[in-house]
Amino acid sequence: MNTQPKRSILLAEDDSDDTFFFFDFLHHRTDADLLPGVTNGVEVLDYLSSIGDNDLPDVIILDQNMPKLSGIEALKAIRSNARYARIAIVMYSTYVGPQLADECLTLGATSVETKPLNRAGYNAMIDGILSRL
Amino acid sequence: MNVAKTYRQLVAENERLSQQLDEATETLTAIRTGQVDALVVQGRDGHQLYTLKTADQTYRVFIETMNEGAVTLNADGLVVYGNSTFAAMIGLPLSRVIGEPFSTFVTDESMPDYTALFALGWTEDHKVELLIRGNNTLIPCLLSVNALELDEGVSLSMILTDLTNQKETQRLLEENNAQLAQTNKALEVSNHDLLQFASVASHDLQEPLRKILIFADMLQNRHTHDLPPDSLRQLEKIVHASQRMKRTIVDVLTYSRLSTNDNQFIPTDLNELLADVLADFDLIVSEKRAVVRVDELPVVAVNRGQMRQVFQNLISNALKFSKPGVPPEITISSQVRAIDQTDVQPNPAYCTISITDNGIGFDEQYAERVFSLFQRLNTKDSYEGSGIGLAITKRIIDRHNGAITARSTEGIGTTFVITLPLRQLPV
Repeated sequence: MNTQPKRSILLAEDDSDDTFFFFDFLHHRTDADLLPGVTNGVEVLDYLSSIGDNDLPDVIILDQNMPKLSGIEALKAIRSNARYARIAIVMYSTYVGPQLADECLTLGATSVETKPLNRAGYNAMIDGILSRL
Repeated sequence: MNVAKTYRQLVAENERLSQQLDEATETLTAIRTGQVDALVVQGRDGHQLYTLKTADQTYRVFIETMNEGAVTLNADGLVVYGNSTFAAMIGLPLSRVIGEPFSTFVTDESMPDYTALFALGWTEDHKVELLIRGNNTLIPCLLSVNALELDEGVSLSMILTDLTNQKETQRLLEENNAQLAQTNKALEVSNHDLLQFASVASHDLQEPLRKILIFADMLQNRHTHDLPPDSLRQLEKIVHASQRMKRTIVDVLTYSRLSTNDNQFIPTDLNELLADVLADFDLIVSEKRAVVRVDELPVVAVNRGQMRQVFQNLISNALKFSKPGVPPEITISSQVRAIDQTDVQPNPAYCTISITDNGIGFDEQYAERVFSLFQRLNTKDSYEGSGIGLAITKRIIDRHNGAITARSTEGIGTTFVITLPLRQLPV
């Protein structure tokens, strides 16, 4: 029996295939509440400012390569607002080099993940993220 | 003897003596000013030749044989003396030089400099670069002047250093430098392009590949029971080929990044590092019933991540290229050596690390080729790999100022020998 509260996760991802993988592989989870996805950094900020403090997500997963406002730019913007201080921010990308990882962590990312290669990988990634909350 | 001389005798003697005195004075002056090389003196034993070996003569020889032009000017700027080097410089016989105003040999563009030099030179030593008219050519010269007090009055001594060769060397040097700078710039651009390429490879190639893998995985998982066995096998091949491509992309990326990462060498206990690497191979080691023997390894200043990769690549190769049905035996040994006396490198010591296996080995004529990019000695079907692993290994060892060689016998096994300095010199 899972007694943990459901954690809400917001995905910011412009690639529809990746969004599909995310929801397809994770929708069954009882410990995670997948919020409707947004497709770029601007939408993340718009979404966050449109909701009340109690509705803020527990986790935001930011794709690095997004139009309008990239993952890193969105990360900076979110971290500059104290209202969002309690949100865990996970950066994820197809390839995470040491430089990108360092930069993201310095800017306040909770963790940096390489995009998983299958269902098991996606679930392991979410397991890891939730265990660190 | 004591015969009193007549007045006329005394006058005559006086005249003779005063003449002798004049001659002697003249001779002395001639000697002093360097106009005389030798004297013939009538002595008791007839004429005797005295050559001058005084400092003056030394200087005269010196001035005649030196590579610089030497000229003496009088107050009017006329040449009163020139050495043969100067005559050769301007391509005129000395007889046409003496008595000429020195300014005849100066080009128009250098005339203001010369005029200033001539005005200043009388009171202080001075140097200036001038263009002198030579034989059909213009000669860049460094002119050094200083005033000399001679018996006939003050004159200006000038030393002319022909700068033609120096200028030419300088020009060539500048040309080479410019060329180098250009090449450097081109290299930087190409390096930048390569990095761009690496980053494109990392994202734009991996992205679609990842999707191929995920969709194929989905099909495999969801339609295991609906798809005919043939189609399932083909799906498996898609996954397999995609995985291989992914590995190649990651390897190429690793290889290209090796040239850009700055070197950070930290004293590292290789025993720990190797134990770490071997732990990753636990599964395959027990699967293949492999035996791995490890000697005591030294502490070496290395880039940890890169050295880890070296061990990873070499051990993975040793396990991969094992003889079918024969449990792999891998021996890792090391030796620390004091520096070879003949070695000019000021490093204190180095170590060799040997990794020996009992695998399939290879023909030793390929011992160097195995370290080249994309070189494979076996078909992809029998032994997997991108053909980059050993190239990465070699590049890492090179960047540690070390060396790696391979010795092998087909059917017996292979030994890789790494030589590494224990410490790295600060750059």
